[in-house]
Amino acid sequence: MFDILIKNGVVVDGTGAAPRRADVAISGGKIAAVGLIDGTARRTIDASGRVVAPGFIDPHTHFDVQLLWDGAARPALEHGITTVVPGNCSLSLAPLKAADRKRVVGMFQQIEEMPPEAFTQAFEWTWEDFAGYRAALAKNLSVNVAPLVGHSVIRLWVMGAASQERAANPDEIAAMQSLLRQCLKDGAVGLSTSFVDVDENARPVPSRFAQFSELDALCAVLGEFGRMLQVVPEFYDADLTIARVDQLSELSLRHDIPTTFSPLFDSVQAPNNVSRVMTRVAEQFAQGARVWPQVQTRPIDISFSFLRPSLYFARLPRWMRILRQPMKQRMTALRDTETTGKMAADAETFRMAGAMAGLVIRGGDKAPAAYAGRTLGDVAKERGQSVPRALIDISLEGDLDVAFLSANQGHNVTDRVGPLLAHPLVHVGASDGGAHLMSFATYGDTGFLFSEFVRAGKHLTLEGAVKKITSETAAIWGLKDRGTLAPGFAADVVVFDAETIGRGDERPVFDMPGDGMRYTRDATGIDTVLVNGQVAYANGAYTDARAGVAGV
Amino acid sequence: MSEAVIVSAEIAAGHDGQADLIVRVRYQNGVVAPVTLDPDTALKLMSACGVSDINDLAGHSWRKVLEDN
Repeated sequence: MFDILIKNGVVVDGTGAAPRRADVAISGGKIAAVGLIDGTARRTIDASGRVVAPGFIDPHTHFDVQLLWDGAARPALEHGITTVVPGNCSLSLAPLKAADRKRVVGMFQQIEEMPPEAFTQAFEWTWEDFAGYRAALAKNLSVNVAPLVGHSVIRLWVMGAASQERAANPDEIAAMQSLLRQCLKDGAVGLSTSFVDVDENARPVPSRFAQFSELDALCAVLGEFGRMLQVVPEFYDADLTIARVDQLSELSLRHDIPTTFSPLFDSVQAPNNVSRVMTRVAEQFAQGARVWPQVQTRPIDISFSFLRPSLYFARLPRWMRILRQPMKQRMTALRDTETTGKMAADAETFRMAGAMAGLVIRGGDKAPAAYAGRTLGDVAKERGQSVPRALIDISLEGDLDVAFLSANQGHNVTDRVGPLLAHPLVHVGASDGGAHLMSFATYGDTGFLFSEFVRAGKHLTLEGAVKKITSETAAIWGLKDRGTLAPGFAADVVVFDAETIGRGDERPVFDMPGDGMRYTRDATGIDTVLVNGQVAYANGAYTDARAGVAGV
Repeated sequence: MSEAVIVSAEIAAGHDGQADLIVRVRYQNGVVAPVTLDPDTALKLMSACGVSDINDLAGHSWRKVLEDN
């Protein structure tokens, strides 16, 4: 007798093979059989009309902290994600000495925008080393975790405050090598580093003070385990990114390790950047290097409030002048009807009023709840105001703490992004799940892959899309027995409707510790998610199952 | 000696959800290439050039990006 039998579904097994009608039997947390199965089971799930696929793997997240109180990494699990990779961008929560916690919390708050209560109320710090963090995680997991260890915290452990001041000496590099080796023995799936990130005081994070020799020495240790190096390159500059591709390739070849970098996203304003980077990636792969660019599926939005000057207004000189003033003068100007009358007139003159009408009032801040999620044009009409006037007045009424969103402003041309995602050398990822909490939702990218690039754009087949975010990801990262529906593999399974899988609208929620706010997206079309053979999500609800593994 | 000159500027969406500025620069050898600036750098460039409209950046020396103000 099987533990679970998923009957009557269309199996898309993750290998890229064509969908086929088959059942999936599960026993002891593993796939026991795939085919037309007559056996009995303690529980049967009817998947008629549904796709049965391996659980999705998200290779770029920042769930390091959230996982300590939310082992489902909500809402990742309900989007079909059964394995997450935290610890990206040089930051992880281990190894970390107690005395250094405050310093790292500041870095996490900068990147993840997580409220301070998340670090003081939501969990107990019980660890310093990587094994201790892994043990703390393991207590409450609904998803699997494949954690990276951050270069910045390794540096901080060895060098203390000097980690953000100078290059390391040979003894310090040797100590970092030993520490990394221990982290890898304790379950880390690789090392992350960053050439871009800053802390809460806008100082470069420790990894940015490393010389190449230090990174090379650490990669030598990765080579002992065949593990991943994840990098944030200077993504805003194609030439620098290409230089990093060459550097990563050198490290990959010398130490026989996989490397990955992100973000890489398309921009019609710089339309050749991505193709130039991809050309170099292909050249390096042809030499034998493994340097995987991670590309996100979702478009990039621009958001702003009047609290900080935004280049959104860079074609409106009067607006820019006023919004760049110190707060007191800014408020005075915005309360002056003559001034704001000129601002509103400028918006019409410079033909920005139309674009402003499409702005979405985001909510989660001081915007009236009744406005959240609606367009400014709609609300302005309701208020009986012009759109620019409504933008100014709503901001003033909320003490300028009202955020507006201009949707789909980058990485948004489906016929450019689709072929990129389908490229055999592109690693679909870069979701940043669990980061940028108060800026935008980092969830639902897998659903968007199917709704936009399988169903609408037809740039990928159903089985091609599933492969990208399951077996291909597992192979890139060396995650054994994950990502494929075949006997002996872990029973991470998602049952979904191929016609409706997608992502819901972005919305604010207050579910962070201390009633902290974040933007999120619900899943659509996901019926059931199993992790290691246990039903973790079904019929729109999370279950009590805690079968996730820390360190897959 | 000729110098690199800004030929145009456009707003683009940045990775972090902010509006970045992409300026096209014509270098001394005639090549025109895009450069992405984060908001702080872009605002400093606008100040250095004495403009408050990105359309007015065209024609200014690219060297202005180095001016701290």
